[in-house]
Amino acid sequence: MKRLLQIEWLKLKHYRPFWILTGLYALLVTLICSGVHFFLIFLKNQGADFRGIDPTIIPFYDFPDVWQNITYIATYFKIFLAFIVIITTANEIINKTLRQNIIDGMGKKGWIQSKLLLIGGLSLAATILLFFIGIVTGLLLSHPDGYPHILTSTSFLFAYFLEVFTYLTFALFLILLIRRSGLVIVGLMMYTFAFEPFLGVLFMFPPNEFNFPAYTYDLAQLMPVRALNNLIHVPYHRYAFREIQDYISLKEVFIVCCWLVFYVSMSYLILRRRDL
Amino acid sequence: MTILSTQNLTKKYGKLVALNQLNFEIEKGMVFGLLGPNGSGKTTTLGMLLNVLAPTSGSFEWFEKPPSADSRKKVGAILETPCFYPYMTASQNLKVVAQIKNCSTKNIDPTLKTVGLYERRNDPFKTYSLGMKQRLAIGAALLANPPVLILDEPTNGLDPQGIVEIRELVIEIAKSGKTIIFASHLLDEVQKVCTDFMVLRKGEKLFQGNVKEALSDQRTMEVGAANLENLQSVLSNFKGIKKLEIKAGKCQLTVTPEIQTADISQFLFDHKVVLNHLVEKEGSLEKQFLKILKEQ
Repeated sequence: MKRLLQIEWLKLKHYRPFWILTGLYALLVTLICSGVHFFLIFLKNQGADFRGIDPTIIPFYDFPDVWQNITYIATYFKIFLAFIVIITTANEIINKTLRQNIIDGMGKKGWIQSKLLLIGGLSLAATILLFFIGIVTGLLLSHPDGYPHILTSTSFLFAYFLEVFTYLTFALFLILLIRRSGLVIVGLMMYTFAFEPFLGVLFMFPPNEFNFPAYTYDLAQLMPVRALNNLIHVPYHRYAFREIQDYISLKEVFIVCCWLVFYVSMSYLILRRRDL
Repeated sequence: MTILSTQNLTKKYGKLVALNQLNFEIEKGMVFGLLGPNGSGKTTTLGMLLNVLAPTSGSFEWFEKPPSADSRKKVGAILETPCFYPYMTASQNLKVVAQIKNCSTKNIDPTLKTVGLYERRNDPFKTYSLGMKQRLAIGAALLANPPVLILDEPTNGLDPQGIVEIRELVIEIAKSGKTIIFASHLLDEVQKVCTDFMVLRKGEKLFQGNVKEALSDQRTMEVGAANLENLQSVLSNFKGIKKLEIKAGKCQLTVTPEIQTADISQFLFDHKVVLNHLVEKEGSLEKQFLKILKEQ
């Protein structure tokens, strides 16, 4: 395990695009997750108001709400981390170093494990970064009443970790299956941000003439990206005094875990069956 | 000890049969040549033996056990083109190999010296010439000091001096008791390096045997005397000569394996013919190879 991690580290530490993408991700997440306060001030200066309410009094960074608020935003950027997985894995395929690793005596299982360690490392680093953003912004901006609840709702950090980990495993599975980094990157973007949201709307709120049975709504919740997005529900309705799901549902975690098992076993199967 | 054995190893790509029911065994200490024209199934065979190609059917054993990642750790191999991380230096690349093979990184510098890359060890792999890449691949194969080496066309892309160096290196390594599997389409190379060989064509095994025995199957000698016509007429009475012709001012004899030069000399001496030239010529494997291909 430690050796696999070392091998992965040796491969990555000299690879500049890895650092650029990781840095880009960290920068974007830090700026945007901690910048909401400034965005609200900006809105106020533009004269915006929410039914007479001053935007800057929205308690975005109050403990413990901050955890759900920022993890929800951060999940939009997980695709940058997926690019890292796609590009580094595609390199191993194109340069045939994957094949050479196997020839040199790495097991195919070991190879998948080393990539899962990379994915785990990235997910963990992203989660820790978010933890710090939450703590710092919260301590600076939270209403003091929230301090006793600093670590309440940190289950959203766990959900965030699971979501990123599963999404990156999805990316690993796709690149092993399709082997073309450009195709997978464009495909994953289109699928995540266009295709599946469109399908989701179609299945969940179908036009009446389609006559979809009622269970299509539930089926739509099982789609790969939708299932991930369901882990952390949109928290912002609460500022319009509407009810939100402010907890992690075990059922939704279970669905994601099923996908995770599927991606990992399929990745292994592809590697085992296919000529390298 | 049997290092490697295959049982009906077969690889099909759709309708194309790349390798058909291959059976062979390699014993410890052999320098085993895998000989065949391009596309005969050499790399396909090695790819399956190294677990990067999935056999359609059949099986194989390394060190008398089913193949595993651990058995591959005991095999140093290059397969076709050298594969390394292009943005990493030779040293860094070998560090990855050392980690995978679970061997000491102390081996890296001596290995780089052996293959003549020590001076360039801190340059990225992508800046290397083909010959240097090939030498790094050989270095990677040697790194963990494995008991078995698989070298697939190791002299590809090397200059004449590099080719000689690699051959000498292989012979040197073989002396240390390592088993070597050496794939090549160059017969001459196999003849110079190998103890045993196997000929493949279109995925079929045509021949397997010992290099020396294969050569002794046919023996040619060159005999010269002042009077060539007399020499020829005397020799035509000698039993055991399969073929007799005059070529380039000498008599070329093709004889049965048991006949030695001494027998010819004695015979001619008895018939009062004085020789000024008597040489036994090694039959070239190339001729053998072409003969084997023709026989099919």
